[in-house]
Amino acid sequence: MDRRNILADNPVEKRRGYMPGVSVTPGRILFTAGMTGRQPDGTMIAGGMAAQTQRTMERLQAILQRAGAQFAQVIKQVLYITDMEAHAASGRAVRTAFFGEARPASTALGVRRLADPAMLIEIELVVDLPDSPAGQPLLEKYNVENHGLDFAQGVIVNGGRLIYLAGQVANTPDGAVAGVGDWHRQAEQVYANIGHVLRAAGATPAHAVKETTWVLDLASWRQHGTTVRRAFYQGDYPASTLVEIPGLARPEFLVEIEVIAAVAR
Amino acid sequence: MSYTTITPADAKPVANYKMATRMEGGRLLYIAGQVARDAEGNVLGKGDIRTQARQVFENLRHVLQAAGGDLSDLLKMTTYITRIEDFPAVAEIRSSLFPGELPASTLIVVNRLAQPELLIEVEGMAAIG
Repeated sequence: MDRRNILADNPVEKRRGYMPGVSVTPGRILFTAGMTGRQPDGTMIAGGMAAQTQRTMERLQAILQRAGAQFAQVIKQVLYITDMEAHAASGRAVRTAFFGEARPASTALGVRRLADPAMLIEIELVVDLPDSPAGQPLLEKYNVENHGLDFAQGVIVNGGRLIYLAGQVANTPDGAVAGVGDWHRQAEQVYANIGHVLRAAGATPAHAVKETTWVLDLASWRQHGTTVRRAFYQGDYPASTLVEIPGLARPEFLVEIEVIAAVAR
Repeated sequence: MSYTTITPADAKPVANYKMATRMEGGRLLYIAGQVARDAEGNVLGKGDIRTQARQVFENLRHVLQAAGGDLSDLLKMTTYITRIEDFPAVAEIRSSLFPGELPASTLIVVNRLAQPELLIEVEGMAAIG
């Protein structure tokens, strides 16, 4: 809890409503899943971008509250948006109202599709929490809703060493791409690679804190990747975000997965 | 360095980046997605990926330096581009800025960035001090 806003006086960013950088001494850090305007029954809230953004922020607020946090403690936000114009016109004001005077570092991406075709915006946060990590378990994974899906809505890291993985793709150690055109094979190779990297860093799948999955086709991923993912995490899921985008670094890649993990000091 | 580079024996990167980094100390810095705007907020290099990429990494370095660090302190960076055909130029410019390996890295093609004329955005996390 010794936040420093970096380049806070930069007039350009000040006007744009975000901070170029935010640094903290990592004590307790909360990672949220990507949240959307989903309602308890699984349907999307009616009313377009403004209503979805409002609902998304309220759900994030509940996740923060469970951790004893407020929006002023958000370090970073990532916005995944399917309609940038709609966000500029009616989403941004709703979102910034929750932050008051506070400004996180921010990234806004125009993506092809979110988990439900009706979703217009998805937001994930990284939050610096008050209180000491002393005496707390390394990870606290929790939900504030009974969503029944394969992720945790919030994961708190208590004083651990954070591990940032490069985006993992379906390459084999000899440089070949496994499973060209084959979603299941690529999913297997990607998770095998994630497992190798985690192990080399002293971690296991249970140590995963946040996962971002980038796919070229959501339906294919659901059909072929979900079972591989379930076998990997065995019920102990990180906070996660799933996004459909038009391309990855090589045309053969169908999926790329980034993981943040943590191990004890 | 306040981080350890993780080098697994049984998984290799597809280019000159680290497979993972583990933060061992220092301050955790989250950097907003940097785009090709100058100090006045004007977008530079409209339609020109090389100009935009150079400005983006200059801006990224500027934030790192303001926090007391530099590019070598990056744990991870994510490069978002809007046209896959721009990737070779981005990779070349990016590699010239990092003397050894890049940090842990991800490259994603998105549909668009905050403004339609933006071709590249780079965000990152760093361990400072």
